[in-house]
Amino acid sequence: MAEKRKIKLIVNGVEMEGEAEPRTLLVHFLRDTLGLTGTHIGCDTGHCGCCTIIMNGVSVKSCMVLAYQAEGAEILTIEGLAKDGKLHPIQEAFWENHALQCGYCTPGQIMSAYFLLSRNPNPTEEEIRRGLEGNYCRCTGYVNIIKAVKAAAEKMQKAVK
Amino acid sequence: MIPRSFEYLRPSTLEEAVQMLSKYEESKVLAGGQSLIALMKLRLVSPKYVVDITRIPGLSYVKEENGKLLIGALTTHDTVENSPLIRQKCPILSEAASRIGDQQIRNRGTIGGTLCHADPAADVPTAFLALGGEVVAVGPRGERVIKANDFFLDYFTTALEPNEVVKEVRVPVLPPRTGSAYIKHARREGDFAIVSVAAIITVDEKGVCTSASIALGAVGPTPLKAVEVEKALVGKKLTDDVIVAASELADRGISPPSDIHGSAEYRAEMAKVFTKRALRLALSRIGG
Amino acid sequence: MSQAILCKEIPVPRKWVGTPIKTKEAPRLITGRGKFIDDIKLPNMLYAALLRSPYAHAKIKRIDTSKAEKLPGVVAIVTQEDVLKWCKPYPQIVPPPADKLLDYPIAVGKVRFVGEPVAAVAAESRAIAEDACELIEVEYEPLPPVLNAEDALKPDAPLVHEEVGTNLVWHEVFEYGDVDKAFAEADKVVSLKLHFHRFGCPPTEPHAVLADYDKGTGVLTIYCNNQMPMFCMALIGLSFNFPTEKIRIITPDIGGGFGSKILSYTYMMLISILALKAGRPVKWMEDRRENLAAGTHCNEVTFYVEAAAKKDGTILGIKAKTLHDVGAYLRYEPVGALLWIQVSSGPYRFKNLRMDVNAVVTNKGPVAPIRGYGRIQHLWMLERTVEQVARQLGLDPIEVKLRNYIKPEEMPYVTPSGATYDSGDYPTALKKALEMINYEEWRRKQKELWKEGRYIGIGAALFQDSGTNNFAQVRLIYHKNPFSGNSRMAEMWMDEFGRIIVAVGSNPHGQNHETVVSQVVADVFGVTPDDVFVVPGFDSWVHGWTGHAGTYASQFAVSGIGAVLGAAKRLREKIATIAAHMLKAKPEELEFRDGKVWVKGTDRSVAFWQIANLAYRNILELPEGVEPGLRVIYTWKAPFKLPDMEKKTVNATLTYSYQAHACVVEVDAETGKVKILDYAVVDDCGIPINPAVVEGQVHGSTMNGIAAALYEEFVYSKEGQLLSSTFMDYLFPTTLEIPNVKVEHMITPSPFTELGTKGVGEGSLVPLGAICSAIEDALSPLGIVITDSHNPPERLYRMIKEAQKRK
Repeated sequence: MAEKRKIKLIVNGVEMEGEAEPRTLLVHFLRDTLGLTGTHIGCDTGHCGCCTIIMNGVSVKSCMVLAYQAEGAEILTIEGLAKDGKLHPIQEAFWENHALQCGYCTPGQIMSAYFLLSRNPNPTEEEIRRGLEGNYCRCTGYVNIIKAVKAAAEKMQKAVK
Repeated sequence: MIPRSFEYLRPSTLEEAVQMLSKYEESKVLAGGQSLIALMKLRLVSPKYVVDITRIPGLSYVKEENGKLLIGALTTHDTVENSPLIRQKCPILSEAASRIGDQQIRNRGTIGGTLCHADPAADVPTAFLALGGEVVAVGPRGERVIKANDFFLDYFTTALEPNEVVKEVRVPVLPPRTGSAYIKHARREGDFAIVSVAAIITVDEKGVCTSASIALGAVGPTPLKAVEVEKALVGKKLTDDVIVAASELADRGISPPSDIHGSAEYRAEMAKVFTKRALRLALSRIGG
Repeated sequence: MSQAILCKEIPVPRKWVGTPIKTKEAPRLITGRGKFIDDIKLPNMLYAALLRSPYAHAKIKRIDTSKAEKLPGVVAIVTQEDVLKWCKPYPQIVPPPADKLLDYPIAVGKVRFVGEPVAAVAAESRAIAEDACELIEVEYEPLPPVLNAEDALKPDAPLVHEEVGTNLVWHEVFEYGDVDKAFAEADKVVSLKLHFHRFGCPPTEPHAVLADYDKGTGVLTIYCNNQMPMFCMALIGLSFNFPTEKIRIITPDIGGGFGSKILSYTYMMLISILALKAGRPVKWMEDRRENLAAGTHCNEVTFYVEAAAKKDGTILGIKAKTLHDVGAYLRYEPVGALLWIQVSSGPYRFKNLRMDVNAVVTNKGPVAPIRGYGRIQHLWMLERTVEQVARQLGLDPIEVKLRNYIKPEEMPYVTPSGATYDSGDYPTALKKALEMINYEEWRRKQKELWKEGRYIGIGAALFQDSGTNNFAQVRLIYHKNPFSGNSRMAEMWMDEFGRIIVAVGSNPHGQNHETVVSQVVADVFGVTPDDVFVVPGFDSWVHGWTGHAGTYASQFAVSGIGAVLGAAKRLREKIATIAAHMLKAKPEELEFRDGKVWVKGTDRSVAFWQIANLAYRNILELPEGVEPGLRVIYTWKAPFKLPDMEKKTVNATLTYSYQAHACVVEVDAETGKVKILDYAVVDDCGIPINPAVVEGQVHGSTMNGIAAALYEEFVYSKEGQLLSSTFMDYLFPTTLEIPNVKVEHMITPSPFTELGTKGVGEGSLVPLGAICSAIEDALSPLGIVITDSHNPPERLYRMIKEAQKRK
């Protein structure tokens, strides 16, 4: 039986520490050890994307990463998006465009959108669909999610100008 | 949903990784983990030791040398997809990488990983075979180069020894007057293929085919070269009739599996259809 | 009698009802602060994992948990022995002999489907619990499985439940009108064998239960994501040997349900038993493999249909024999085999119908009341049948549908089964949907495209959604079933500071009840939705409930809102009485505006908090006869009647939303793959309380239907292994598979509800009709008939190749 040991990660700008064993998945470490339950689990095979977070600047499915692999990494979860109570434009856009219903896939959708827009600030619809391909949603049929990402892109571009 | 217990090892050099793989039985290399971790979570695969090579520096790069592109084994699919060098000089590899799974998977999965995993229904192995690429492997006796033709042995089985690690992947810079295409038939865009085709064709100034390399995915235990199709193209002017006739030979020498997404007979028929489509697409992309 | 209005503006004389305000639920969900079951951690909590059957059918000879018990970190293991101590078998709603069917939260004696729970382990971590499951030794004696309804009915078929003595667990014939006469008078009789496939509606959040037994008070708190837990209490109460008054059920945020989270009472009990044995709280989260195998499927149906028609395409009558493959247990079946009675003639006006209904158990996953339960199968069958009538008569299928539709002026319309449609304009809806996809233009281009070898087709279908069902419908299964009517309870109070609070007995999982209730209540009190607080989630000790409570069957806008309106009016009346006293006016002279009560036409007012002060603190100043406090309960009741048991008719649904879908598809003849070129929906749910919420549900149900038609299918091997066991093979569509969907809205208010609302949400998976219709249209030059609800590439490829050979 493998021993647990402490690992440190930088999560939402704060250094955090917790115990993990080799088989602890990053998503469980975030949820159960660090108490950041905004990242969700929806499948066993890395398909649904509910567990999507940003690790060292890129979107990853945290259920497909060992916690040990994330040791020392910079992690951004849904809890880290809003600053001082002010929502991120992507969060605002999701709210304004009714891009969520049950909300279970929503953190993952938002983090994937965050990565997409960080690389491609003005994506076409096709590019949005491709960027969110790894995020399943059963409630919305994706229509409003795509609208929201477009709206978020516009907001973010306006803010830059 | 949780893997069986294992020990985690984190080598800082390739030599160290090789030593660990040699020392510990039932050890497996972990890179991006997008295939291995899924299998471990389903408890289909349960190594006692996991050797995480992702912290070994200097294994993620794309450079050109002597008519080849040298790609570090830990280069992610996303990097391969978007690398200007690969897009320009070996676009079929970029195209194949772009069809893998989804963005998150491409952000973690590596070119070394997907080749070593050797799933015949995966995208990059098929393109790699068509390219006639090479793998540089590091083992206890040093480095060796394994050609694509010799690399894939069976389902999920390569010519690598259990204690060898892939260090670099090499693919040719495609010559002028070459068109290439990687396409796949799948239920959903990011799924493993029901059938996939990687086609690379080169023509001379008169439009006569001087070289054809076609690999098929998901129609056997490894990606397979469609040798009969290639023979039917080389030396001919590539009219559509020639392409169609050659494509009819795509089911020669294949042994496709049957599963709920496609029976063996269906895959054999689709091999022909998609070979034809890939050839047409490759031909349309032939530049100067 | 209501008129259809095609519009973007909602014609209601209310301020908040009908406006697409931003939802109240979103802020916590977009910041990751939602509270789903797996987010809850209790002190001393253990984690559970379930060991499940690897066989479709086998006797359990022996279970040895000794090795597992010794694993460090394992605290308790539950097997059939424990379950038999704690449980009586679940009552069934079928008549004898199938009422003898034995059903427990765990397999007892034998396993009947791959994935059936065999043991439950509670340990310090989920990882250890899974390790322990692998150490449990189960000796099975495999039995031959029976894997489809037709095989299950053969005389030598293995019995899924020996105690029943047959696999045919329910059989009933329903006859309306004069079917024989209709067929005698027919110009054309069409025969079809149809198959509605097995799929599901797996939400992104699987099932989860957290059971917490307080040794001090003896209270068992079950946190769960069941969408109808108080309905389930009937089954829990009758089977669990635990005092029902000490069971508290809490549902927090729920990650989608779609009907698949109705029957998880088996898990609620199993995990509770585990918690009782462990002496500590136990949390269980289903993983996706478990969910796909066992966490429930949609009714799979084989139809043998015959239709009688006149040569102009008028449908005279239909007779159908149905075989419902309900999987290994009944649970809420055979209601799924019965619910066609809610839409017996679909959108059509034929009066003669014979339904020979058969529910059959097999060694496959159990079914549940999933989205469009029992209706989608029937409506799909009607569409296929009407289209075949048209094609065999050489008529245009869409024209034939329009000819047979019930006309708006015939509403309210009583169908053969007694189901009464409240309102609707089906022809206008379908025509509008066709217009939205440029139907005329595609028809013009179509023949040319066919000549070019491009198989492009147009399809359209209209399905109704039922809302607010009459539970008395189950008496048509067995007259002794003690269920009837429908009701909903709401509690509302104003606190002493004048703030309004509502507790509704619903279990929303994406329907935004907190938002729509606020809108309705805001209009009653002349405040804004922000002034109304709806208690989130559900707690059986806080929220009033009746046996019909829950979030299911597209009805909150009618039943839940009915209760809310009733409570709001009751509370408003009491406030008006006190205000009238304070203002020395008559209650009729008052109006509610901006958080105050005013004497109309004057500037005299009194604030809510001032009224509340009298009611809560300053009670000697209350008017004579008025009880202190401002807290009311209201129970809404649907105006239903009991069935006519002789005629076998019942009005089982109060309101009917509906959607008309039209689409253009191209079938790639070389591969059989279907591409959707255009897709349009016209939705009518009466008055929408929040149009954005409704439209979102229309998008979602459309996606669900497209998924079912082209991607999602549960496939079993001949040994009964579920081959589509993960999302690798059970094809949940992504953003790249689902096209953009154009949606327009129509409004035909319901005459049966106060606000004119109709229940909405399920959406009836109309793409199953529209896409099958479009595929058949696309392949009509080859004479191909679509008889399966699911059309993956290889199936279409084979049909095309065979047809091309015949030509």
